Amino acid sequence: MMNRLQFFSLMLVACMLFLTACGQTAPARNARLELAADHSLSAQRAYNRGDYHVALRQYEMALQVDVAVENIPGIATDMLNLARVNQMLGRQDMADAYLDKLLQDNALEYEKRYLAAAATQKSLLLLTRGDVSGARLWLEKASAWCVAECTLAGVIDNTRAAIALRQNDTEQALHWADRAASSSRSAAPLEYANALRYMSEARLRRGEFATALRLADEALAVDKRLGLPEKIKQDLLLSADAYEGQGDAEQAMRFRRRASRIVAR
Amino acid sequence: MKLNNYNQRLLNIEQRTKRFMLGALGAMLFALLLIAIKQGYLVRSTAIYFFAPNAQGLNQGMAVKFIGFKVGSVKEVSMEPNATVRVKVALDDDYVHLIGQDAKARLIKEALVGESVVEIIPGSQQVQQVTQNSVLQFERGQDASSIAESVAAQLQPILSDIRQITLSINNPNGDIQQTLKNLNQVTGDLRETVKQFTRLGASGNQKLESVHGKLDKALDSVNANLEVMDKAIPLLVGKAEVTLDNVQTATSDIKRMTADSAVELPAFIHNSNVLVQDSQDMLEGAKQSWPFSSWFRKPEAEVLPVDAYVPPGKP
Repeated sequence: MMNRLQFFSLMLVACMLFLTACGQTAPARNARLELAADHSLSAQRAYNRGDYHVALRQYEMALQVDVAVENIPGIATDMLNLARVNQMLGRQDMADAYLDKLLQDNALEYEKRYLAAAATQKSLLLLTRGDVSGARLWLEKASAWCVAECTLAGVIDNTRAAIALRQNDTEQALHWADRAASSSRSAAPLEYANALRYMSEARLRRGEFATALRLADEALAVDKRLGLPEKIKQDLLLSADAYEGQGDAEQAMRFRRRASRIVAR
Repeated sequence: MKLNNYNQRLLNIEQRTKRFMLGALGAMLFALLLIAIKQGYLVRSTAIYFFAPNAQGLNQGMAVKFIGFKVGSVKEVSMEPNATVRVKVALDDDYVHLIGQDAKARLIKEALVGESVVEIIPGSQQVQQVTQNSVLQFERGQDASSIAESVAAQLQPILSDIRQITLSINNPNGDIQQTLKNLNQVTGDLRETVKQFTRLGASGNQKLESVHGKLDKALDSVNANLEVMDKAIPLLVGKAEVTLDNVQTATSDIKRMTADSAVELPAFIHNSNVLVQDSQDMLEGAKQSWPFSSWFRKPEAEVLPVDAYVPPGKP
């Protein structure tokens, strides 16, 4: 049985441990890394509100700081983000250059997840330009790099679906898009909507207009929630095509009019 | 044998625990001693008093300063039966010899915003120094609100003068409007006269006498108007002089206030900056310490989500 002295001693030790814990401080980042993180955060905020020019400038400043202190994860993150922002601004060559810098850098050793992201972006870029074989090649590399802690499975599957659609292989497109939808349903609404759109397009090509319409409708709801004008327009056009396929020209016309009013900004 | 060993070990543990507890107690007493020294409990002081009409701005514990140095603190603020306020001040004995019996206690603010302090205004050197229970005279220094009231009081007559002048100008029966009307009339008369004079010139000297008469009349009218103006102008000049005097007084007051503030404002701004910086540092420190460190996660740079959307219609 614990006597009073022992109890108080125990309490005193507990208090001292508590005070020691209070005094513990989190490991601090140096001022330059703080600065880079600040630039990166303001860039992300600008990107989220669609202010791509500001985002570009901020990411460039973050990259300068990260390069100065050789913050390798920071450099990879900044270059990936710069590629993405340039792509959004329609500067495909600049986006490509940033991705190449990252993928062909022999001096620094980047984590695989960054390389996987870069390879996926590169594949999508090539697909946008119509280079299906190049897109397939980089997608395979991305798939090989996408191992532990890789969250790109849904994106890679959707890119496979997009490649299949380019080759008019609706069976494969539906397979990959369905897989992407299953893996991203709750985790990544952006990719879930992409998968629904690809499925809708595949169904449309197969003449399954009712299913295509339902999928486009669901994709539209998600895209509206995410606030993505270009995709909303695409969903409306898919719905219009589906109505047209069902013989409802009036509805098709209505949806095309709705789509024509959407201006991306 | 084993039991003896066990008892011995227990005794050892007990001894060690006692020593540990005594050590902790000693550390606590040392800390209390340090606090007492810091709080000035161990400093010898002389109690003096002053009486104020009200306790506004006077608080227990507020600093008492002498030529900018803290020489004591307010120990007690209490109300007397005659509804005055008695303030007890403890002065450090080291500084008592510097303060004469005829010194004054003044309640001032060291900056535009912030705590008030009691400032001891030194008396003449010849007079005997304060002793225990001495009573000093008390006065209140000007604070921001009283300065603002003073400025408002100075500006009020200026504004009323300006309003009066504006009313006078706008009043159709006022001096200025009447003068303008008369001037218009004179101008009209003169124009008519000139016309008639021209006609007369054309028709010869027949109506010269009549013109002369009208000219006389016009000149009379001009004279009358000039008389009105003579009366009105001194009045206006007088009002303008009063107004200008008021403006000059207000300007000099504002200049004096600006000069007074010129010393305090930079210090105030500097102090505010330091305060904000300190608060930021403290907040940063707190954010890095347990348990707050787990509440405030450091923002990390993130990779933007890769979007597998490929725009249609492109090759």
